[in-house]
Amino acid sequence: MSLSLWWWLAARVSAALVVGFLAGLPFGYPAIGVAVVAVAVLVRMLYLLRSTQRWLRGFNNAAPPDAGGAWGELIGLVARLQRRKQYHKRRLMRLLRELRRSTAAIPDGVVVLNPQGEILWFNRMAARLLHLRARTDVGLRIENLVRQPEFIRYMRSGEYTLPVVVSATIDKDLFLQIHLVPYGDGQSLMLVRDVTRAQRLEAMRKDFVANASHELRSPLTVIAGYLESLGQDPSLDPALAGPVAEMRRQSTRMTSIIEDLLSLSRLEAGDGAAERTPIDVVGLIELLHRDLGARLAQGTRVQVDITSTVRLLGDEAQIHSAFANLVDNAAKYTPQGGVITLRWSSDATGALFSVQDTGIGIGPEHIPRLTERFYRVDPGRSRATGGSGLGLAIVKHVLQRHGATLEITSSEGHGSTFSCHFPIDRLVTESREA
Amino acid sequence: MEAADLSHHTSRRFNEDLERVRSKVLAMGGLVEEQLAGALNALIDGDSQLGQAIAKKDYQVNGMEVSIDEECSRILATRAPAAGDLRMIVATIKTITDLERIGDECEKIALIAARLANDERPADHYREVKHLGRITRTMVHQALDAFARLDAELAITTARSDRVVDEEYEAIQRQSITFMMEDPRSIRRALDIMWVVRAMERIGDHAKNVCEYVIYMVHGKDVRHTSLERVEQEIRSRNARP
Repeated sequence: MSLSLWWWLAARVSAALVVGFLAGLPFGYPAIGVAVVAVAVLVRMLYLLRSTQRWLRGFNNAAPPDAGGAWGELIGLVARLQRRKQYHKRRLMRLLRELRRSTAAIPDGVVVLNPQGEILWFNRMAARLLHLRARTDVGLRIENLVRQPEFIRYMRSGEYTLPVVVSATIDKDLFLQIHLVPYGDGQSLMLVRDVTRAQRLEAMRKDFVANASHELRSPLTVIAGYLESLGQDPSLDPALAGPVAEMRRQSTRMTSIIEDLLSLSRLEAGDGAAERTPIDVVGLIELLHRDLGARLAQGTRVQVDITSTVRLLGDEAQIHSAFANLVDNAAKYTPQGGVITLRWSSDATGALFSVQDTGIGIGPEHIPRLTERFYRVDPGRSRATGGSGLGLAIVKHVLQRHGATLEITSSEGHGSTFSCHFPIDRLVTESREA
Repeated sequence: MEAADLSHHTSRRFNEDLERVRSKVLAMGGLVEEQLAGALNALIDGDSQLGQAIAKKDYQVNGMEVSIDEECSRILATRAPAAGDLRMIVATIKTITDLERIGDECEKIALIAARLANDERPADHYREVKHLGRITRTMVHQALDAFARLDAELAITTARSDRVVDEEYEAIQRQSITFMMEDPRSIRRALDIMWVVRAMERIGDHAKNVCEYVIYMVHGKDVRHTSLERVEQEIRSRNARP
């Protein structure tokens, strides 16, 4: 409001007072004339104040009071402010509505949770997949409504890098993948996706591998049996001796691939953690050492370095096959004159089984992919050594089921070390055992 | 008493205590639901391993009952709750007893399933049992939903579906008797199936009890041993009054 308006107001009020004074003069009471005018001015001001207040409060959609001068300016300013605010509000509302509409249209379920895990908002797909109800469920804790133990464990674990798959409660054929994504001040976004199809395909794949390998085993046994008697037959044409020997080698290899496939699919089928029988790791290593000594090339040495007698709680057959696979690999890739070292040690954080060789080593680009099925560092070489390509996949699965991790360090030309780290809760000391 | 009032409280710690107990009850409910689903799947798919695994897991349900019971006693002793909070604690103590019994019935079903898996499958592939199983599972699920949402309406409709469970139970019973008369060799299996459906019928009753505790918790009205129609009428009339 410009200053001149104030002057104008002051001038008008004083002019009115002068008029009052002059009007009262002929009657001899100029003071009363001034008072009457002053009261009139006050009444008008109060009236304007009241109608402004009513307008601002929004009574009966009252229009802004019609007043000139300073009041008019004041009211005009307020009206402008209000219009601007309304404009921004409308724009924000429109933006928000667009945003909501687009998130509602996402084909995955989306739920927004506050730090206490209470529902703040969810879209239509989430309502459908999790059976949430729009009107009543905002403000309820998500774990009270999505009660699958699997999900509750996931929620409380605080470890949200991977999603969790749960089966829907009522409809057992429906599988949901739930992923929590924390953001902002402890809030989190919960993404829900129907993965029934993928889950079914995965089950079919596992079934197929298990059945196919099982079905292949019996014909192969017959073939291997005939090849064996054929190889030992003295009346066999010497020209066929070579091919028959090669056929026998290949059938042995095929058998080992099928055995590995079967044990891998067994490992996949059994879900959850492995059992907890105490395993005498020291005895196991000595056994592996003896087996290894019998087949190693001349001049290759084996060292055993055991600094711990703790026992491992696990599935003995599985652990044996995992350790044997690691030792096998070391034997295969260590040239004559090399050294293989088997270690077993423990400390306050867990235990470590490692196999170190002085073989050809593995390039760093191959290490992350080593545990993939049928992954070959060098296709030609691996075929020659006769591995199934499944050994390390089996090791990885066994260790996973025991809560352990596999660490591979290697430098090309100098050899590799494969280490299995077992967590402390999988260990038991001998004294407590006895 | 409005449902929302239960979640507001002057003392934040107290409020958190109550919320934690509620979440624990529902987590226990989730476990029981999973046990029930697993036991039924073991029976229908003839999976004896799954049956054994489910029976072994029942101790978890029992453990949760003990822990929630202790927590409720602690709250009663240290906080001396009143009105709605007191009703919630009382209803919780009763609910977990029923949930634990549902867990026991699931164990029973799982053990029978493990035994039946070795026998020949019946010609109808347990069609009736499957159907009854779906109804009981839905009942348990809805009873727990009503508990989570403090939804008395849902509790009433769920409690009413107990009648369907009873009817199905009767039907399967009659059918089993026919089977037994037709072929005496099937008596053993038919008796086992009778135990299974009996367990499911009991599960329906326990789910109904949970629904009644929800109504008690929300409306402060003990509706055990009252007909559902009367309960509904009373609640309607109370809601109609301002």
